[in-house]
Amino acid sequence: MSEPHHPPMIPRRGALIGAGLLLASGRRARAAGAAIKIGFVSPRTGPLASFGETDGFIVDLARKALAGGLEVGGTTYTVELLDRDTQSDPARAGQLAKSLINDDGVDLVLATSTPEVVNPVSDAAEAAGVPALSTVMPWEAWYFGRGAKPGAPSPFKWTYHFSFGVAEFAGAYISQWSSTVATNKKVGVMYPNDADGNAIRAHLAPALEKAGFSIVDPGPYEDGTNDYSAQIATFKKNRCEIFNTFPIPPDFATFWRQAAQQGFTKIVKIAQTAKTGLFPSSIEALGSIGHNISSGCYWHRDFPYKSPLTGLDGHALADGYEAASGRQWTQQLGASLALIDAGIAALRASGNPKDKAAVAKALSTLQTTTSLGKLDFTKGPVPNVCATPIIGTQWVKGSGKFKLDYVITENSGDRNVPVSAKLLPYS
Amino acid sequence: MKVQRWTPQSGVFIAALGAMVLVLAVGPTWFSAGVTDRLSALFVYVILGAMWNALAGYGGLVSVGQQAFFGLGAYAAIRLSHADVPVYLAVALAGLAVGVVSLAIGEVMLRLRGGEFAVGMWVVAELAHLLVNLDPLVQGETGTSLIALNAIAAEARRAYTYWLSLAAMVALLAVLFALLRGRLGTAIQSIRDDERAASSLGVNVLATKRIVFVLAATGCAMAGALWLASAITFQPKAYFSVQWTAYMIFMTLVGGIGTFEGPILGAILFFLVETFFGGRGVWYLVGLGAAALAFSLFLPRGIFGALEQRFALRLLPLGFRVVERTKP
Repeated sequence: MSEPHHPPMIPRRGALIGAGLLLASGRRARAAGAAIKIGFVSPRTGPLASFGETDGFIVDLARKALAGGLEVGGTTYTVELLDRDTQSDPARAGQLAKSLINDDGVDLVLATSTPEVVNPVSDAAEAAGVPALSTVMPWEAWYFGRGAKPGAPSPFKWTYHFSFGVAEFAGAYISQWSSTVATNKKVGVMYPNDADGNAIRAHLAPALEKAGFSIVDPGPYEDGTNDYSAQIATFKKNRCEIFNTFPIPPDFATFWRQAAQQGFTKIVKIAQTAKTGLFPSSIEALGSIGHNISSGCYWHRDFPYKSPLTGLDGHALADGYEAASGRQWTQQLGASLALIDAGIAALRASGNPKDKAAVAKALSTLQTTTSLGKLDFTKGPVPNVCATPIIGTQWVKGSGKFKLDYVITENSGDRNVPVSAKLLPYS
Repeated sequence: MKVQRWTPQSGVFIAALGAMVLVLAVGPTWFSAGVTDRLSALFVYVILGAMWNALAGYGGLVSVGQQAFFGLGAYAAIRLSHADVPVYLAVALAGLAVGVVSLAIGEVMLRLRGGEFAVGMWVVAELAHLLVNLDPLVQGETGTSLIALNAIAAEARRAYTYWLSLAAMVALLAVLFALLRGRLGTAIQSIRDDERAASSLGVNVLATKRIVFVLAATGCAMAGALWLASAITFQPKAYFSVQWTAYMIFMTLVGGIGTFEGPILGAILFFLVETFFGGRGVWYLVGLGAAALAFSLFLPRGIFGALEQRFALRLLPLGFRVVERTKP
């Protein structure tokens, strides 16, 4: 997919002033017209590019759907979507958000995919008092990772987030591991010392133990480790028939190859990965040891919901992307579209999309249906957050034109999503 | 013949510089929000460039681990703010706190020379990153945010961060200028050129290096805390990234290593390049690297070094020079 040309980060004028021609500018006047600007920030290049791969397609779809404008409270507004690529760099993500807010004067900021994108963007929006909505990162790392304290009132007035959390993983895993594949219920876990790893260790592992699984945890490891012999030996010694991990994708490739060489993968009946294995490319890269790896998805082409903005259901969206790009659909399609769906719904619900406080208030009580399903910000789990389900899935050998198929193997998170296959044992 | 330091040219330049700082100081009252924010970032870049140049260009101490202090500065601000220190005081004190820590680091690192020092500093940066990750407040790579800032209204905060950045930049440059013009300037440059010879002439090598090392560490830590004050998000990976040192090297090499003015020019250039080409992704980074390489090969004293030589430029004079007295 070709990378769309992005305009320079700030207008030429701003930079010239920066160079020292300090006398040319006055305070920027904001024209209050019937136009809404929405920023859309995601990682299109760099290490997180697999998340952003489909975003160009989604933004184009949304632009077409919004070409006729958006009617709110009797006024028709033109809508401009400004998409920005963080290059997977958190420092750049924050600067892009500030530039969207200060230089472009956006009315709403949307951000998706991983803490490296979402947290800096949300912080910039919160700081500037501009409403922001985000998705696709565990809500605990978004809420607590930005300094909120459990039990205390929410410190955030402008930023909102819908995504899965630890409880959704626990539900999906317990359901998935109790289904068709019989195991000894011993779970070897590899949780890194990072954002997700620590939240998962603190909250997911106890939930799994309560459900009757015994956890074998060799302890946190640092991202980028390249020798896992000690952990593999521990898992083999304890005969862990279930394996679970939340690694960054390159670490999983290293670990899983070493596990195969050292004979651990032969013991494993269920290999459940999160964070890696979201997209076909990361599993394809593993070759044959990638087949039958289980995963959890936040969206799937079989989700039975229509995007209200584009009118597309899951199949139409996935097929449209495959036809346009020649590449296999990914679960980010539905999530990015849902983000825009929900953002537009909040602008509509606000009554006045140019009033930032009204938009933030609309977000805080937003109830709407998107391609991900129903979102309800009134229910918690904490203020500013709406939890969305994780559905159990598995990568199996492809039957069509792609090397792998992604099938749904359990639906405890959302019973409207159809289960399409039985979980197969890894080995 | 007479020995001369100040020239009319440098007098005019200093006056212009003073006027510019005054104009910048009242900036937030009439700049747009975007310009104020971006200029705050530029001030941080100038600090970074000048500090790396002080180490490498004057002290001969090439560090590829200066991000250690950048990250520690931000971390110290988070920690201080968590201990209920008013948030801007925390940002201001963070650099000084890290400066104290750097005394201990310097005791070990300054015993290393050349390549060993460079690699050793990288190790220090990695170590600092890992240690910060162990703090439960930081939650590993999850990080945390300086949310105490949210209590201050957006406009006021933007202005405070800007003023603090401007003040830190001016103060650090002034200290560096004063130090380099004095005894220390001569001593440190003699160490850079030949450590053993300097020592035999009575220069206290370790004490001299220590001053420059601690100054550069304090400056980089201030830069980190200031960056945090405008970004708010603290994710250790982002602050302890080697890219910060890469930026410092770029600014110094392109602007002019071993010249006082060079890194300032380099920072402005870097700022412009980032502004106009930052969106080009990988090619932007390739371009930065290629430019730094080309400069060190073909213009080893950078842009300012070349200008200085060609036009006998003396804007902020550090050295002396001999001029022939013109006959009346």
